[in-house]
Amino acid sequence: MTKKSRWSFNFSTASLVLIPAAVGINYIGKFFAGALKLPLWLDSIGTVLASMLAGPVIGALSGAINNIIYGLTADPISLVYAITSVAIGITVGILAYKGWMDSWPKALFSGIIVALVSAVVSTPLNIKFWGGQTGNFWGDSVFAFLIANKYPVLIASFVDEILVDIPDKIATILVSYAIFRGLPNKLTLVYKNESEIEKL
Amino acid sequence: MKTLSLYQPGRSIIHKIDPVTKLLFIILAIFVPIIIGTWGAALLTLLISLSFILIGRVFKKVLPILGFSSIIILSVIIIQGLFYVNNKAPLFTLGPVTVYREGFYYALNIALRIYNILVAVSILVLTTKPSDLIEALVRKGFSPRIGYIFSSVLQIIPQMMSTVDTISDAQRSRGLETEGRLSARIKAFFPLIGPVVMNSLISTRERAMALEVRAFNSKRKKTFLHEEVKTGYSRFLQFILLAILLAAIVWRVLS
Amino acid sequence: MKRLVVEDLKYRYPLSQELALNDISFAVEKGEFIGIVGPNGAGKSTLCQAITGLAPNFLKGAYGGRVLVDGMEVAKEEIAEIATHVGIVFQNPFTQIAGSKLTVFEEVAFGLENLGIPRYEMKKRIEEALELLDIAALRDRNPFDLSGGQMQRLAIAGIIAMKPEIIVLDEPTSQLDPQGSEEVFQAVQNLSREGMTVLMVEHKIEKIAAYADKVLLLCAGKLIDFERPPKVFSREDLEDYGIAPPVFTRVCKKLNIKTADGLYPVTLKEAYDKVVKILE
Repeated sequence: MTKKSRWSFNFSTASLVLIPAAVGINYIGKFFAGALKLPLWLDSIGTVLASMLAGPVIGALSGAINNIIYGLTADPISLVYAITSVAIGITVGILAYKGWMDSWPKALFSGIIVALVSAVVSTPLNIKFWGGQTGNFWGDSVFAFLIANKYPVLIASFVDEILVDIPDKIATILVSYAIFRGLPNKLTLVYKNESEIEKL
Repeated sequence: MKTLSLYQPGRSIIHKIDPVTKLLFIILAIFVPIIIGTWGAALLTLLISLSFILIGRVFKKVLPILGFSSIIILSVIIIQGLFYVNNKAPLFTLGPVTVYREGFYYALNIALRIYNILVAVSILVLTTKPSDLIEALVRKGFSPRIGYIFSSVLQIIPQMMSTVDTISDAQRSRGLETEGRLSARIKAFFPLIGPVVMNSLISTRERAMALEVRAFNSKRKKTFLHEEVKTGYSRFLQFILLAILLAAIVWRVLS
Repeated sequence: MKRLVVEDLKYRYPLSQELALNDISFAVEKGEFIGIVGPNGAGKSTLCQAITGLAPNFLKGAYGGRVLVDGMEVAKEEIAEIATHVGIVFQNPFTQIAGSKLTVFEEVAFGLENLGIPRYEMKKRIEEALELLDIAALRDRNPFDLSGGQMQRLAIAGIIAMKPEIIVLDEPTSQLDPQGSEEVFQAVQNLSREGMTVLMVEHKIEKIAAYADKVLLLCAGKLIDFERPPKVFSREDLEDYGIAPPVFTRVCKKLNIKTADGLYPVTLKEAYDKVVKILE
């Protein structure tokens, strides 16, 4: 079996129905995190799973559509953060392709990478739209402390974001990895992008 | 079964404007104030958007959308008012804390920008049926496949949420702790989310096949069950909106 | 006239070692009702998917032999085009609702819109399909608000509206309650009466005995038998293939009641007629 380039994807019907499922999973993750009053967002489990199953392009699309839907049905500002979701989808897709998602320690490492990417992409958006804040109480307290002590907004905002992102993204990746391991072969095969039909 | 939507049915003139024009208006409402860059422009845009909301009779429904962000905006005003880097001139003093003019205005600017986005987007989402928006875009040449994704998400989420209710009840009746210590709550997360997530992923295979056999990948030219509702003045409105955008850019370049 | 011809059909799933379908050949006449039976993992679903071109066009893997629907070789056609000749209904009614439509009427239109059917024709076909499946009264309901049996009939309507000559049903009642199952069986019987060629996978063996013109017995990817129900259900080795004969067949077997051709009756009516005859 030859592995195709990580960017190659056919916009198959299977990948396409994966996207609404991914958005739904994101939504449910966010719902339960809220219902259980967890100090995390856990709102990108679906995006991560879509990337692991069908690659960075489908992952990125899931992320973008997730934020557009959320923006149009609950909080319009989440439209802006579609960029972050896209970045998460792409990063996980590449990490999974490179084999950085096939054991618990590797998944943990991937969680840290995803947190960094997420923080790097979100920080400029936070600064542009919110003056640097994230809306998370603990993160914003640190932000206030840092700018009160004359740290540059860029640094303060990045610290604010990463403090929230590190635990959140590690948890997200670990939960996704656990679910991924439990999926039947029959399903993962559908997303393997094999296009050749062998003749018998 | 409800679809996930903020749409408020109505017969106002705003409801009758076609979805693409409303989309164009959002773009305008976000970018014109940024292009012009003055307080007046931002304020005027916000007032225009709000008046559309009033004409559409959906003002009450816009409040929760604004409320969502208002708490954060309040914290922005406090933090920037107190600690903004360029803070020099005190605005007022409350006991031991001083709020500064520069930070306060900076925060107001942020608030204005956020509210502009919120209200402009609200016009679209409160007065347009999601299925009409998606169908209008597909007719304009937007990929029907992407259109399908959007409409199915809107139905799938309420669908999954009803499964969620069933599962939560079942798990709770089996004695799953969903309150109390953080560690207990973290432990509860997995049994709650696991079954729904697995189920929805596994069913994608059959769902994909079911779509395929309903000619989802057909190469034929798609037709529509419903006739397109044409509003005579939509072209005219879109022309005006584009003209305003252009004027703003010209104004910015010349001044 | 042969509606469906399957010749030396072989199929293997990707990354799998063994054949899911191993050299299967049979032919179905226009208007026949075929019941497909076999133990779990026999390849019943795979056979359904091969008849509709999903294997190999969607599932990929390895494929040999031919499936001809009215002379058209399915493996060489687009799935969307095959759909206008042979339709398939799956187990779970939920996964078959397109999910992008807000009413039952629009839901049936989904496939027709994709096929580019003109609006007038589309409406006519939807009306006919709703009527045939007895769900016309539900036309303005949201598809997700329906009961399981109603939803499965809606799924069938969505397929029928595309006007296939053959319909394949892969355990259409396995996830339904008794009432929903009965509704679906009634609907399938209606289709058959209207002259449609039907292939149905079903565990409820009494239903197969009552409806089917022929029974296709499948085990481990191989076709074991393809005969009239009394013939298949009278086989001495039937239970070796994980199939319990219909209850009337078992009773008649115990009592050694046979019909004129030396086979056991398979339905209540056949058994009753035979017993009455003996008593006379």
